[in-house]
Amino acid sequence: MAGPSIAWYLGVSAFLFATGALGVLIRRNPLIVLLSLEIMLNGANLALIAFSRHARNGAGQIFALAVMAVAASEVCVGLGLVVAIHRRRLALDVDRLSELRG
Amino acid sequence: MIAGAWLCLLAPLAGALLITLCGTRISRATAGWLSTASVFVAFAGAVWSFFGLRSHGSEHGAYSTAWTWLQSGSFHAGLQVLVDPLSTMMMLIVSGVGGLIVLYSIGYMHGDPEERRYFAYMSLFVFSMLLLVESGNLLLLLAGWGLVGLSSYLLIGFWHERPTAVAAAKKAFIMNAFGDATMALAFFVLIAHTNSLAFTTDFNVHLSSTATNLVALGLLGGAAAKSAQIPLHTWLPDAMEGPTPVSALIHAATMVTAGVYLIARTHPLFEHARTVELVAAGMGALTLLVAGLVALVQTDIKRVIAYSTMSQIGYMFLGAGLGAYANGMFHLMTHAFFKALLFMAAGVVIHHLGGEQDIRKMPGVRTALPWTRWAFLVGALALVGVPPFSGFFSKDSIIAAALHAHWYGVILWVVALLGAFLTGLYTFRLYFVVFARDEAVTGPGPGHGSDGHHGEGPWTMLLPVGVLSVLAVVGGWIQFAPIWTPLTRWLEPVARTLGVAEPTSWQEGVSSALAVALGLAGIGVAYALYGSRSRAVPRLEALQRALEHKLYFDELYDAIFARPAQGLALLLRDGFEGPWFVSTPAELGEDTLVIARGVRRIQTGLLRTYVLFLGTGMAVVAIVFLVVK
Repeated sequence: MAGPSIAWYLGVSAFLFATGALGVLIRRNPLIVLLSLEIMLNGANLALIAFSRHARNGAGQIFALAVMAVAASEVCVGLGLVVAIHRRRLALDVDRLSELRG
Repeated sequence: MIAGAWLCLLAPLAGALLITLCGTRISRATAGWLSTASVFVAFAGAVWSFFGLRSHGSEHGAYSTAWTWLQSGSFHAGLQVLVDPLSTMMMLIVSGVGGLIVLYSIGYMHGDPEERRYFAYMSLFVFSMLLLVESGNLLLLLAGWGLVGLSSYLLIGFWHERPTAVAAAKKAFIMNAFGDATMALAFFVLIAHTNSLAFTTDFNVHLSSTATNLVALGLLGGAAAKSAQIPLHTWLPDAMEGPTPVSALIHAATMVTAGVYLIARTHPLFEHARTVELVAAGMGALTLLVAGLVALVQTDIKRVIAYSTMSQIGYMFLGAGLGAYANGMFHLMTHAFFKALLFMAAGVVIHHLGGEQDIRKMPGVRTALPWTRWAFLVGALALVGVPPFSGFFSKDSIIAAALHAHWYGVILWVVALLGAFLTGLYTFRLYFVVFARDEAVTGPGPGHGSDGHHGEGPWTMLLPVGVLSVLAVVGGWIQFAPIWTPLTRWLEPVARTLGVAEPTSWQEGVSSALAVALGLAGIGVAYALYGSRSRAVPRLEALQRALEHKLYFDELYDAIFARPAQGLALLLRDGFEGPWFVSTPAELGEDTLVIARGVRRIQTGLLRTYVLFLGTGMAVVAIVFLVVK
């Protein structure tokens, strides 16, 4: 089988996941936080597909498709929230949105 | 004859239910008449069954079971009545005397705002008492036993706005409940060994001597509590807080004699536990002496009569305990007549004086109530046992029976004779102090408005007093041992008198002569001290104080039972209930709040802390997973 070994793919996947996680942890803009979440999900997707290919099994790719669907809906909800926050003239800062009461 | 017994049992119940259900739709007088009618219907039923039994011959007692309401394995007990000589005799006494007393109540209770309740209770009591005496097995007897306790409680506490009446009712109920408990325990033992609560169980075959003694002791406990015998007697004097007709019916004529009935009814068992039976006789002797002594110094007219009731029931226990069941039952009957008479005569006096019960504050009674005075005199003479009044015939045969029963009997005989002297003394002290004062104020004294005086009252009060006066005179003539003994023969199929308690003629003669002489001596002393006022009453300070405190029985029970129980209760409240059950729930709540306040800090609302926890958790899980692998 051609191509680099699975370790490379997993390395890139872990790097993407870590980058995303760091973004979620340290950024305060909800848009960037959502973006970082997408990066985390895609890191996971990459690992799933790599394992799928390594195991010669389609199940991982189905998982990846499901994750993409989840990511899409999540972004819908997330962006909807951001718009709602903006409309109510609240700060776009996750640290200041620490209470459930608007 | 069976139909008569059922009629007798159910008529008062119907009366009680009718009065209760009609409530204010019937007038207060109607309630009284309804109650009276129901008890007299019961009396008619009792007479019916009496004559039915007579025509069949008294050995042909009959059971009638309405239905079996308790069945467990081979044990079963039914709603069962028994018509036999003993039960018909009790039915006649209870419904006959009961009817007269309820009639008397119509006059006595007139004007009380809660007359209807009173008459419903009275009917309920008569029903309960009839259930007790008619029941065909011990379980139903216990039901009647408990019900008379309940109605007694309700009637003692009838004037519930008086704290003393409520306290007396509770005391009576608790004392009686103690007796009920020992009886119930005895029945458990009986069921365990014989699998039956029928009167006809053969106790000799099925029971070991220990078990027999236990059962007999349990029954004796019940009998002593109900009949106010030492040491369970303290409730009876206090029970005089109830209306006077209640004292006459429940605490003199019927309920308190139930213990004697119980001993006569279960005598086969007591005969196998002869020691316990002799204890019963000794208890009776002790009670008759102590009660006679205490009666000497009491100043409440009803309490004096109450102590004399205890004393007379002591005689009945003495007779029944020695095996002279017929004599005990005979005295029960004559006692019902003359003691109800004394109470009702006392009731006329109390009614006349508007509620005054202190014998030192009864001026002018002699002139105002001439008929009552005669009735009281008849009752007093019957109580002392002066021939030819009824008490003479019944009491002397008990005393004579004691003389026949070995050395133990002789001791009891001496005590009984002393009791006869005391009876004469305390009875006529009461009579002379109340009725024979010459210095009596002619008009109403200061503080007594003439409107408070009722005279001898309406005919509803006088008629029963008159009837009972006649009965108190002639009631004893149905038996004059050993010449003329129809009552003993009538009861023979049920309660045959033991051979040891059948005195010879000379013993009868000697006992009677001595008892009458001592009784008359008592009257003489009472006349000298209280009637003629020719001598000062001798005073022994210490003795008098002890007697006025009823020999400190109440104080003793207070110290032995009440105070330790209260102390223990307080200890448990402060040491156990308080810390464990009262403050614990509150502390649980507070502690939960404190912990929640600490945990709340974790919930910052900051996304990044959540993610950090999430990531840390995952990292820990991963590390653990790797390490364990």
